[in-house]
Amino acid sequence: MSAQDDHCEKTDSVVQYLDPRAQSRRDFLQHTGTAVVASAALGSVSMQASQAVPLDVAASALTQLNLTVNGRAQQLLVDPRWTLVEVLRDQLDLTGTKIGCNRSECGACTVLLNGQPVYACSQLAVWADGMEVQTVEGLAQNGRLSPLQQAFVDHNGPQCGFCTSGQLMSATALLRNNPSPDAAQVRMALVGNLCRCSNYMAIVEAVVATGANA
Amino acid sequence: MSEAFEPVTPLQTIGHATARVDAIERVNGSAKYSRDIKLPGMLYARVLRSPHPHARILSIDTSAASALPGVRAVITHENAQIVWGSGSISGGRQYSDPSKDATLHRRYIFNNPARHVGDSIAAVAAVDRHTAEHALSLIKVAYEQLPFVLEPEAALADAAPKVWPEGNVCPDFRNNLEPMVSNAGDIDAGFAAADEVFEGRYDTAFIHNAQMEPRCALAHWEGDKLTLYTPSQGISNCRHDTARDLGLEDHQVRIVCNYMGGGFGNKNQNQDTDLIAATLSKRANAPVMLEMSRREDWLGVHGRWPTVQYYKIGVKQDGTLTAMQMRAYSGMGPYRKNSGGLSGMEAYACEHRARAIFPVYTNRTTSGNFRGPSEPHGFFGIESMMDDVAFRIGMDPVQFTLKNMLRPTDAQPFTNYSLEDCIVRGAELFDWSTRRQATPGSDPGAIKRGAGFAFMMFRAGVGSSSAIVRVDSKGHYTLFVGVTDIGPGAKTTMGMIAAEALGVPLAQVDVVAGDTDRCPYSVGESGSRTTIMTGYAVVEAAKDLKQQLATQGMPIGNAVLIASATPQPTTDGKSRQCFGAHFVEVEVDTQLGTTRISKYVAVHESGRIINPQTTRDQIRGAIIQGIGQALYEDLHYDPASGQPLTPGYYRARHLTHADIPPIEVDFIEVDDGYGPFGAKTAGEAGIIMAPAAVANAIFNATGKRMTSLPITRNKILEAHA
Repeated sequence: MSAQDDHCEKTDSVVQYLDPRAQSRRDFLQHTGTAVVASAALGSVSMQASQAVPLDVAASALTQLNLTVNGRAQQLLVDPRWTLVEVLRDQLDLTGTKIGCNRSECGACTVLLNGQPVYACSQLAVWADGMEVQTVEGLAQNGRLSPLQQAFVDHNGPQCGFCTSGQLMSATALLRNNPSPDAAQVRMALVGNLCRCSNYMAIVEAVVATGANA
Repeated sequence: MSEAFEPVTPLQTIGHATARVDAIERVNGSAKYSRDIKLPGMLYARVLRSPHPHARILSIDTSAASALPGVRAVITHENAQIVWGSGSISGGRQYSDPSKDATLHRRYIFNNPARHVGDSIAAVAAVDRHTAEHALSLIKVAYEQLPFVLEPEAALADAAPKVWPEGNVCPDFRNNLEPMVSNAGDIDAGFAAADEVFEGRYDTAFIHNAQMEPRCALAHWEGDKLTLYTPSQGISNCRHDTARDLGLEDHQVRIVCNYMGGGFGNKNQNQDTDLIAATLSKRANAPVMLEMSRREDWLGVHGRWPTVQYYKIGVKQDGTLTAMQMRAYSGMGPYRKNSGGLSGMEAYACEHRARAIFPVYTNRTTSGNFRGPSEPHGFFGIESMMDDVAFRIGMDPVQFTLKNMLRPTDAQPFTNYSLEDCIVRGAELFDWSTRRQATPGSDPGAIKRGAGFAFMMFRAGVGSSSAIVRVDSKGHYTLFVGVTDIGPGAKTTMGMIAAEALGVPLAQVDVVAGDTDRCPYSVGESGSRTTIMTGYAVVEAAKDLKQQLATQGMPIGNAVLIASATPQPTTDGKSRQCFGAHFVEVEVDTQLGTTRISKYVAVHESGRIINPQTTRDQIRGAIIQGIGQALYEDLHYDPASGQPLTPGYYRARHLTHADIPPIEVDFIEVDDGYGPFGAKTAGEAGIIMAPAAVANAIFNATGKRMTSLPITRNKILEAHA
């Protein structure tokens, strides 16, 4: 699959040069090794590239996982093959984080792991043991939207809304490091978050407005 | 040219930029999309798909899969023969039951032979998704591989492998294997009258809708009543199709879709996943959630049909068109899911015309509707051709268009006509006369700048839909409409129309949508029809309720007043269209092959704009999708193996935040007296012109006519080699 990626995809794309997470996807593929390669290979019987599961491995023993999610300590028993996004959505019912591609292409599943944006579809949950996770559900405080969320409301940040939580998380991480970004800085920080409604201009306007009002 | 219409100014609610009524749910993670819903005891389903472009299934052994602990149901073509009526339609008429009944080339939820890589073979429901996937790997299928064909022109050769026994031209609604033909005047006389005749060939790629939310379906039976939580652009149509395919009455099916992660035509009607989930659920006696992977979504649903278009145009020295001829081939994949049509020629006035479009079966993935189903690729072909004709006879393409575009006649009046206004205003805002290179390709240096233009008109016809509105004794209004907000903000738009028609603030109106058991029929989020048709029903229901209030007064205690409307509006024989003109400036690096868009001006007349904020963003988003179609997106196949090579976001190369040019959107607002407060189509209009305008700008910059979409770096480098 990596050979196919190198030859077939987006030869005229800027993403691979600008998005540091493109590299982490390759690392992820190396970590999970043959299982992913087999399921995504041309002509393989199963087309379930979505679930990077070794098909010959039966359900493995559950293992304990300690996470702090949106400020609350969580002790969970998880299957080591579960991804972080699966645990967030299925075990903790935090369904605001979406699965768009399940293979590090679209960014819909972006969450903050110890403050850094990651694609939760491409992190095994056990890798996050002892870490802090923030999801879109953790942005509002005491029922009040964060200034960024409010700007998304005011500037029509969501169209269909499926990419919105990912855009919000990447932008939240940006604003922590750079409270008043300009449009070019916002575009670079959010380049790993696709929006097929292509509402990019409104999203950037919302993030810039948040910074300007900070 | 402008007609005498009152200037449009904002009304009480309509015409003001308004935040979505469900904006908070969309930003705090609480909006429940179909895949977010969980039911007690829910099973997970997965679909086994063909690895071959064309193969007969000799045998299929599911015993090991069925024996796997946790597996609750396995279905194949042998034990689940269900016709998916919307999957293959003679004539491609999406909303016609008779056409679906007449179809000889029936598509089943599992097909033998499999006719493209990704065709459904079998499905499994199990206690969790990992077990379901494990079970898929245990299904043993013996295939006999058959010859396959990928390209529509090649598929019409005598010796081509046959996708269906009768041949590779898709049947019309009478099951005749005929092209779609429309002729007018005398084409030979038209060419005889021409001073010059020009010919051209244009082709366009398959591109996937690629909405962020992949298909899924959660099926749940209570007795003989089926509830489906499924992403749908049209819950009423989805219900009817699903009931028909499963042999149920409409009222036995409930479709729920409150939030939907985009569709752009990909989620019209029902999908085989709805039928597969319902069948598995029935057999396993438990709710079943079927989830598609991104790759499955790419190959198992549909995208825009690829085309090859040949034009022959006759023209006088003064630029007057005398004849227009087109022969085209649309690659439909192995099933005719939609029309395969190509629009654009009808935007020109020319007495003598001939058009033949062949919808052709291939062993690529299925083609179907994508935002402006027949338009952006058709307009790319004809407007590139006309740009070329204008260049060859030494005319400015804007002047050529003003001379030849369709205008109202006594025989065919319009409700209003503002195409010329759009073009003139766009040219001014863009500074067309300055930015256009008088001599294409004359910009010195390797990076060449130039400007292009395209125009369109798109149907904005009225039609029937339904709405119900209720008021309680506290003066609170509830609007029931069978719309789904797929992104453009239909719930908000309907609420705004109701508030305006009722004369109350938007905050006093609740909108109930997205559930066929709670809402009346709505036309569906396709053809940019929701605002016009369901919006008009809202206006009529509100009028009725106001009349009831005037005669009966406010209800008291637990009483309510209710009004419903299913109007049958007409345009009194007039053509109703929305209009637009796009102007683009590009910088083409002739050494690197890259195209950068440095300025983009879009002028649209879509009647009265209900919500200026969401409409502007719909147009901007549509333009960006159109730029992607112009420059990047494609689904490549390996000709030797028939395998798709680029099914996915990275590979098909969708535009990202980093690629977005500055886009200016300007609306000319008119209330023509039809539709809800004069609103017209908008959502699909935005994408129609972008590919043509970008391609024409590249020609003006480089002097090289790019005839094949997408206009990739390699194609530009080849043109300059």
